[in-house]
Amino acid sequence: MVNEIFAKFHEVATSPRAQMDKYIAEGKKVVLTAPVYTPGEIIHSMGFVPMGAWGGDVQLDKAKEYCPAFLCSIAQSILELGMDGVYDGASALVIPSLCDTLKTLGQNWKYAVKGIPFIPMTYPQNRKPDYGVKFTRAGYERVIKDLEAIGGVFDNAALAESCKIYNKHNEVMRKVDEVIAKHPEVTAVQRSDVFKSAFFMSAEEHTALVEELIAELEKTPAGEADMGIVVSGILTDAPQLNEIFDEMGMHIVADDVAAQSRQYRTDVPCGDDALQAMAEKFKAMDNCSVLYDVEKKRVQLIADTAKARGAKGVVVVMTKFCDPEEFDYPIIKRVCEAAGIPVALVEVDRQMVQFEQIRTNLETFRDMLSM
Amino acid sequence: MAEEVKKTPRPVDPNSAKYKLGKIASDAYVDAIEAKKQGKPVVWISSNFPVEIPETLGLATVYPENQAAGIAARGAGQRMCEVAEADGYSNDICAYARISLAYAKLRECPEQEVAMPDALLCCNNICNCMIKWYENLALDLNIPLIMLDIPFNPDYDPTPEIVEYVGAQFWDAVHQLEDIFNIKWDDEKFKEVTGFSCTASRAWLDATSEACHIPSPFNGFDLLNHMAVMVTARGKAEAGEAMNVLLKEYKENHATGKSTFREEEKYRIMFEGIACWPYLRVTSRGLRDRGINMVTTIYADAFGFDYNSFDEMIAAYCSVPNSINLEKSRDKRIKLCKANHVEGLLIHNNRSCKLWSGFMAEMGRQVGAECGIPVAHFDGDQADPRNFSEAQYNTRVEGLMEIMEANK
Ligand code: SF4
Ligand code: SF4
Repeated sequence: MVNEIFAKFHEVATSPRAQMDKYIAEGKKVVLTAPVYTPGEIIHSMGFVPMGAWGGDVQLDKAKEYCPAFLCSIAQSILELGMDGVYDGASALVIPSLCDTLKTLGQNWKYAVKGIPFIPMTYPQNRKPDYGVKFTRAGYERVIKDLEAIGGVFDNAALAESCKIYNKHNEVMRKVDEVIAKHPEVTAVQRSDVFKSAFFMSAEEHTALVEELIAELEKTPAGEADMGIVVSGILTDAPQLNEIFDEMGMHIVADDVAAQSRQYRTDVPCGDDALQAMAEKFKAMDNCSVLYDVEKKRVQLIADTAKARGAKGVVVVMTKFCDPEEFDYPIIKRVCEAAGIPVALVEVDRQMVQFEQIRTNLETFRDMLSM
Repeated sequence: MAEEVKKTPRPVDPNSAKYKLGKIASDAYVDAIEAKKQGKPVVWISSNFPVEIPETLGLATVYPENQAAGIAARGAGQRMCEVAEADGYSNDICAYARISLAYAKLRECPEQEVAMPDALLCCNNICNCMIKWYENLALDLNIPLIMLDIPFNPDYDPTPEIVEYVGAQFWDAVHQLEDIFNIKWDDEKFKEVTGFSCTASRAWLDATSEACHIPSPFNGFDLLNHMAVMVTARGKAEAGEAMNVLLKEYKENHATGKSTFREEEKYRIMFEGIACWPYLRVTSRGLRDRGINMVTTIYADAFGFDYNSFDEMIAAYCSVPNSINLEKSRDKRIKLCKANHVEGLLIHNNRSCKLWSGFMAEMGRQVGAECGIPVAHFDGDQADPRNFSEAQYNTRVEGLMEIMEANK
């Protein structure tokens, strides 16, 4: 049974296009959402299916007409897939302004990909003071206006409903992370599928499937990983990378990955004004390289999580050319090592075919952790 | 062995704009060091932070980007970058940030010493990289960071919402600084400072637009040096005065048929991007030897902080080159190219600067098409010498020149 559920996650995670076709065939409109954060609740409440567009493992060709080589492969491959027609049929792409590369992605998209409108989501970095919350709200209002232009209908009560659905999804995602931590038989590949599939399914469907998984896993007794690790980074979905984790006997007991747990840490607070509540949610968000944080709470969170989950080490999976993450790395290393938690760094990009270097690094790391 | 003949540099006339501007730029460093000695507060500040704030509050300022450019121009870019890299910073990170973080660690670099800060003033209207860089500085130096967030604007003009958000932050920053340093904001002083800033900006815009004459009365590489004053001192009275001297000189040059471009001006180009500081001479000579004058750059427009109200001032800070969308960026370049009779566009794909280079390919195509001029790109870096090839630069410039010649 549990294997069947994992197979379902795998199928969805590896065939986003089939999922998109399915929704379109059902008469639904799909709105793509770029990294790192986008208001899925709003898109959902306006009658669209939000689908994550975090690029793909493809060689870059057409995108080179627009992007210099030193932009991250996530942004470049989103453009490549757009230019290749892989996203055809989507009604829009929402891109937040959270890093310099994302700012340029929207500008290039307008000219490179005709037919899928770009909707900007401008987030404030000073998101905590009242003026920041007000600006977040203004950003959401802009997104709503653009979604209305492609046939969406905004309604406060519908948004409140979607917020509940998303909060529930957040809750099960946090729960599944905890449960998997205690089930070392779940592979890194399977764990990755659980998280990745969330981008390609409606929140309701994904919640239901994750709940099934949790129920199944909880039928078997919890165990302890021999070598628990915390993984940190933007994206860690490369199958070869996860296979290496499995081969090395490393079990992911927690993650600080933008495409995984960072999405689900913060709920929308209750309130009559659902849009205001959405802005309050962004105010409450923290612990991420693309959210201004002078205290670097994110770094401490990694160290604390590693301790709390009994991890032997932290693996930082660096997406090449991702400067927000590259700036945090020296601090992560410093803080974790001071707390007695070893850190390994592996560099990935979406064009990677040779994983030998990563294997060697992780072998060395494993040997060190086993000592 | 032939005896070495040391060339004595031509003395600079102390009444010239070059002398005055050079002095203002170097005094800024000296003044901050002096302030530090006297126990007065010093801040490190991003180049496009509203300078009206520290000037009104009387805080001594140091511009790490400017310092890094100086260090790179004097040949120490790689050495400093490697210090940061040894601490785990990727060599993909902006070289200015790497140099600055290295300085914060070593607290010395003979190529450009600065006073250490008591607080940091960060503004991300030119890049979000700045946020990460200053976060790390704040952590390493254990000092307060004031962050003024000016988001990238996907629309053509600043919206009332952006202006309101940034305006609120402006006063928040003022109040934070008042608390940190126990100082008081003075509206009269603020008025005076805004006046200085507007005067300097107007003179800068006027001086740079003297390039509309054929031949241009100046070599555009001059602007890369003079610009330092617009970055670091535009809120001071002397900046406006010196810029007006510059304007006068350019006007005189035009009237008397002189120019600081010392060759015959055969071609006129716009240079796009930050200078390659470690190779300033090579890049300049590569143009000059071919009779190519770089008559304009976006810097000509970048420091146009000329405004009539508080909201207009905020809107100006929301409209600096890296915070505006492709269409507005493009139109600004088109305007400069047309006004200055530009015949070719040379683009520096700057490895340090993702935002500046990220949509340059498309923008370059659109500018080229609208102005009917050829466009050439070269790879480089503003401060890390490892990312530039002289041979590639020359080939690209040569290619550009051939098309400009064919277009004549
Ligand atoms: S991987 Fe990093 S650089 Fe690339 S889009 Fe995401 S946050 Fe930006
Ligand atoms: S060079 Fe680019 S990335 Fe570096 S500080 Fe300047 S604007 Fe930011």
